[in-house]
Parts: sequence; C-alpha cells; structure tokens
Amino acid sequence: MTSIGTGYDLSNSVFSPDGRNFQVEYAVKAVENGGTAIGIRCKGGVVLAVEKIITSKLLKPGANKRIATVDRHVGIVSSGLVPDGRHFVSRARDEASSWRGTYKGPIPISALANRLGGYVQAYTLYSSVRPFGVTSIVGGWDSEAELAVDGQVGTGPKSGAGGKVEGAKVGGPGLFMIEPSGLYWGYYGAATGKGRQAAKAELEKLDLSAEKLSLHDGVKEAARIIYVAHEDSKDKEFELEMTWISSLDGPTQGRHEEVPRELLDEAEKAARRALEGDDEEDEGARGSGEQMEE
Amino acid sequence: MTSLMGHPSGQTVGYSFSQPTAAPVKEHSFYPYTDNGGSTLGITGSDFAILAGDTRSTSGYSINSRMVPKVFKIGGDDETGKGAHILLSVVGFAADGNALKERLDAVVKMYKYQHGKSMSVTACAQRLSTILYGKRFFPYYVHVILAGLDEEGKGALYSYDPVGSYEREECRAAGAASSLIMPFLDNQVKFKNQYVPGSGEGHALQPKKAEPLPRETVEQLVRDAFTSAVERHIEVGDNLQMMIITRDGIEEIFHPLKKD
Amino acid sequence: MNHFPEAWGRPRDDVYGAYNSTYLQTSGPKAHTTSPAVTGTSVLGVKFKGGVVLATDNLASYGSLARFTDVKRLRVFGGKAVVGFGGDVSDMQYIDRLLESIDIRENYSSHGNMLNAKNLHTYLAKVFYKRRSEFNPLWNHILVAGFDADDQPFLSSADLLGTTFSSPHLATGFGAHLAVPILRRKFPDERGIETISREEAIEALKECLKVLFYRDARSLDKYSIAVITQEGIDLREDEQIEGQSWAFAETIRGYGSQTS
Repeated sequence: MTSIGTGYDLSNSVFSPDGRNFQVEYAVKAVENGGTAIGIRCKGGVVLAVEKIITSKLLKPGANKRIATVDRHVGIVSSGLVPDGRHFVSRARDEASSWRGTYKGPIPISALANRLGGYVQAYTLYSSVRPFGVTSIVGGWDSEAELAVDGQVGTGPKSGAGGKVEGAKVGGPGLFMIEPSGLYWGYYGAATGKGRQAAKAELEKLDLSAEKLSLHDGVKEAARIIYVAHEDSKDKEFELEMTWISSLDGPTQGRHEEVPRELLDEAEKAARRALEGDDEEDEGARGSGEQMEE
Repeated sequence: MTSLMGHPSGQTVGYSFSQPTAAPVKEHSFYPYTDNGGSTLGITGSDFAILAGDTRSTSGYSINSRMVPKVFKIGGDDETGKGAHILLSVVGFAADGNALKERLDAVVKMYKYQHGKSMSVTACAQRLSTILYGKRFFPYYVHVILAGLDEEGKGALYSYDPVGSYEREECRAAGAASSLIMPFLDNQVKFKNQYVPGSGEGHALQPKKAEPLPRETVEQLVRDAFTSAVERHIEVGDNLQMMIITRDGIEEIFHPLKKD
Repeated sequence: MNHFPEAWGRPRDDVYGAYNSTYLQTSGPKAHTTSPAVTGTSVLGVKFKGGVVLATDNLASYGSLARFTDVKRLRVFGGKAVVGFGGDVSDMQYIDRLLESIDIRENYSSHGNMLNAKNLHTYLAKVFYKRRSEFNPLWNHILVAGFDADDQPFLSSADLLGTTFSSPHLATGFGAHLAVPILRRKFPDERGIETISREEAIEALKECLKVLFYRDARSLDKYSIAVITQEGIDLREDEQIEGQSWAFAETIRGYGSQTS
C-alpha cells in the first residue's frame, strides 16, 4: 500500500483511488516523532502533561513552555511540529476571544474543540496548504457556577422570572484530542506523540470512565505515565511539564495553571520510584536503581 | 411623464431609493476641550534659561490636585528625564498638553537614536511648531514655552500659540495669569517704561537699556511674579515649580505657594 | 399606478405629500454619544499607609430615575488594581470587557499579568483621550487605585477628555464638591499618607458617602468599598450606609412640618 510513485501523495486535497489523503497521513508521521503528550480527565479537573525532550544543553531548564493557556480555563498541549502547535494555539486564543465578543463569557471546551477541529480540517482541503503537523490535546473546565457575563453590573433577580435555578447541573471537565485530519473526539484520557502506545495502555488501566480519579492522583499518574512512556527513548534526557485545571472549589479555581513546583517534584519522585520498582521486578536484585536515576 | 410632472416643484422626486438628501447636519453637543487653569513663565539669561509654573490643576472652581507639574524635561534617557537638554512648559487643556509633551519627547528621543546626537534647541523649536500646526484644524489647546541653551551656550526661549506660530524671546508668561505676569516681566526684565534718571526732559528722556539678568535676580523675579499672581488669580497656586537649565544640566526647585 | 415600480405600495405623494426621506438616512453624520444615558455618580478614593481605599455607591440612574440599585462600579483588574467608575454605565461595561481581554492576554505569558495600577491608569487615560479626539467619547470619570512599580500606593483620576491628575485623596462628580473638602480637612497635605491608618481611611470614606447620600439626589445608601493593600484586594459590594440622622430635616423650612 505504498504511495511512493503513484503521485497521489504530492498534493493535499487529492484522494488516492482507495480513498486516502496521503498528505494527512504524512502529517500523522510528524506527530509520531514528537514528545509524548497526555491529558487526563479527573473528577475535579483535568491534567495535561508533556515529555519535553532536551535537544540542547544550552536550553534554559524550565523555559520554553510547551503547554499554552487559552482564555483562562483551557490548556493546550501538542505533539509534533512545535511551530504548527503555536499557530494552533494562536487560533484557539482568537476563537476564545471571538466567543467572548459574541457571548460575553468563556467558551465551552466542546465548542472550542469543535471550532479547532473545523479549522484543522480546512487545511486538508486545499492544494495551497499543508495539514497541521500536530495532534493537540485540549483540556479545560467549564464553570459549574453561573458566571457573570463580561461587564455585568447587577446580580439580577434573586427568585422568580429571570431568577437562579437551584441545583442545575452544569459545567465540568472537558478533554478533547484533535488530529491532523481535523478529527476530534472527547476522551477520558488522551495520549499522543512517540510514547502514545505505552501511555494509552497505562491510561486504560486507570478506569477513568468511572470518574473516580481525584485531581491530585491524576497529577501523580500523569507524571508516572510520561516516565513510563519515556522508557523506550531512555537515551534522551527530558523535562516533565505539567499543568492542570480544577473545579472552582479546587486548587486552581477553574483556571488553567502550571502544577505547583512542590507537587510536580513530589509527582516526579513518585514516578521514578514506581519505575525503579518495575525494574527490580523485571531484572531481579540489580540494586543499581539509585545510580540509574540520574 | 405626467406623473413625474405632477409633483410639487422644489421637492426632489421621491422615486429613487438611494436619494441624496439635504439633511441638516446634526450638531454634536460634545465639547472636546476644557481649561485646567494654571500659569507658566520663562526667562533667559546669558548662560541659562528658567521655566516655571504653578502646580495647581483646576476644573471650574474646583481644585483637581495641588501637585500636577507643568514643566517637563524633553528627550531624557529615562522616566526621570535624566540627560535631557530641553525644557517644555505646557498650560491650557492638560490632556492635550500631556499628549503634546509625550509626542515631542518621543520625537527628540528618536532623533537621538537615529542621528546619534542630540537635537539642537533651534531644531526642536521648529519641530514643535510643525507638530502644533499639524493639528491646525483640531488644535492642541495649549500655550507652550520651550527652553534650552543655543549653540553659543546662551539661554534660548521659544513661545508658541496653540497652532504653532512661534518666536524666540527673552521672556514670556503664558496661561491663566499671563496678563498679570507679562507686564511685570516687560517692566522688570526688558525694563519697559524705565528710564535713566536725569537723562533729559520729555522725549529726550533715555530708556533704560535691557541687559541679561543674573540667575539670582531672575529666580527672585519668578518667585515674585507667582506670589503676586496667586493673590489675584484663583486658578493659580499651591506650589511653584522652577526648572533651570545651565551648561551643567537641569535643576528643579519647588516652592510652596498659597493654597487658598 | 405609474411606471415607477419602486413607488408602488408607498403612500401616494399627491395625497400625503412627498416622503420625507430625512427620516431614513443612510449617509450623513455618524451618531456618537453626545450625552450619557444610565449613569453612576461619585467615586471616592483615599491613600493610606500601605494601600488605597476606593468607594462608590451601587446606584445607576437614568436621568432622575433611580434605575438600577445593585450596580457594581468598582472593578478589579488582575487582582492588583481597582478601577472605580462614574458616568455612563454602558461605557463602563465596554471598558470592563476591554480590561478583561487585556488580563486574559497578559496571562498568556508565563510570568502572568505584570501590569500595575499606574500602567493601567496610563493606558485608560490614553483610551479616553483617543476616543475624545475621535469625537466619540467614553462618558466616564474614573479613579484607578493600586500600586506603582516601586510598590508605593497609587491613586489617580482620568476622565472622558483624557484629563489626568493624582492626589492623596480624590473624588469624582458630586464628590469633588462634597467629599474632597471633608477629606482635605481630615487629611491635610502636611500629614502625609504615612500617618493615615487603614481604619481611618475607611471611616473617612464612609462619612463622605453618608454626606453624599444626604445631599446628592442621585446617590444611594448601598455602596461598594475596596481596600487595596500588598496582601490583596478586599472588595465588599453589598454595604449599607449606617448611622444616618434626619433630625436636621425638622429645622428646614419650606417643606414637611414647617411649610412657611
């Protein structure tokens, strides 16, 4: 099923006779080489994490962030071509801002994913452009409280017509993954990039659909999964970058923020410990875990 | 055609949807200016120039603030204006004054960045006139005075009207109390109406010749001008701000004035 | 029936006269705000040792009608500065949305929103000045409170013309006439803000609000108050003016018990 020499892979917007768009498939290849990125939808929020491969010793540790904020309540992490990811984020910010311009409130995660899916898909239609070389994970929190619209000055009626509805269930975590084809699904746990297979296997073990995993446990698991996924490319050094969005009564109060330093360190330490444990089981009493760590 | 002719004359035929109308132009009731009061003055000497102003800001009979300076350093290296060699005083509509000051400051800075040398006071004076005239039909409602040292190191002072007409002078008062201060300066700086005693009778009487005054004398004149203006004008008061430019740089002095 | 189909179905000119198309202008002057509609009254602010207090009442009036009685006229920006709005409420909402979008954009960088109250004031003053220069003013008078780059308490005013001024205590609208004299008596310039405690500043503003409620017909006894310190912003939006005494009303001749 190779496309080489058939000519159907040379242009975007051209199908092959068996119904494939090769340009899109090549874009997926670009993603498969990127650092592993994951998202976990927890009970009280969403965790995003990425394995940032250190390509040079000259890069400043902790700088060059790979997870971006959109509006206040959304985070986006991409795997693949970093500049494509930046452009994708820029578009997401424009969409969120345009939503505010129209509806005077934050964009729901599903609506953002929908608009971004449409945007990415448009790049598969024209011969003048190439598809996005990224798969992006969009995570966020739709406010469970009735938010004031931007610029609202009064509290409105306390009861009766126009009053508040008691106990209406709204809001919650949102997690979506958008691929170069423009395809997007909502997920309990999403993984992309080089270590996605290992990461997905680990995510499946978490029984996320039960919606029991707490946000703090989600942070620990996310760190561990990135470390597990890194096992196959152990020769390369990496940095773990992690962000989260909690419910309004949680630690970030509905905002997308970096996971605090102490918690990140704790999660990383636990992740390393878990891996060492695995090594010992696999290879018996090797006892060199401590040295292996650094 | 008869139906067309049936219309009363003088009215345009109302059959076209895109009809030019002679609608009366609606008047805007918004007036974009206000007077924030205050007064400024400038005097030159042989090797210095002084710009001074009170620090009161008013709206009608209300005092907005007792500390809003009207004299600025132009083209300095940082926020404090360090390294500047040109002074500007602005009085009239404060928002325009601020916008004008910021523009001139940017122009003088850009000149230095682009040419690698400071703008001369003469060039700055001409440029300021151009900026003011550029808004000839929506003027900056301000009376500005520019001061510095010329190529020979002598005090240079330029005064402007709101649309950019300007001239170099030895002294000038501007703002609310200008009509009170200017005659005082004419008499005390340019010795107008002063004569050499016993030099003659009637037309033979010799006018006293004006000479550049020493700095101490000029500073005292400025203080006297303002303490007197404060007595007679309600929009002037609170503090006196003086900036003196010499070859050694710019010195800024504040003096209390009456706050009533 | 005639041969001008665009006229069919419209009132006959020979019966009703020619259609006055000035009612349906597609060209002509663009409509801008020439007067405010729903308005808020005074904003009050005082600096104290280590911070600033800002207060407004919760009323938005439609002319002389007390239209909205739970309006929040104190707006927090980036958790570090507060803007108090007087004047048109719809323009306030526009500015609030503007500030919201700026805060969101600033937070995209990893160091977060670095803009302090002074930066915010400079920005807003320029927005006001730009809009007045387009003859399309934002009809507000605002106070901005917070801290400057040196972490010193900051309080400054900006209005629909772009006029700016700063003072240890400020009040807009009616407050400029009624509250400022009270504040100047309590906190004369000689005192300096270092001697003013947080409690004293809050008490002073409460007293001013009470006086304004007595004498400003467009005011309300429900108010908002924000205390800005380095520790953060304490904003209360549902406060009640307390300890009023209407006994003095008995002594007023011309209405009530003494009609002559």
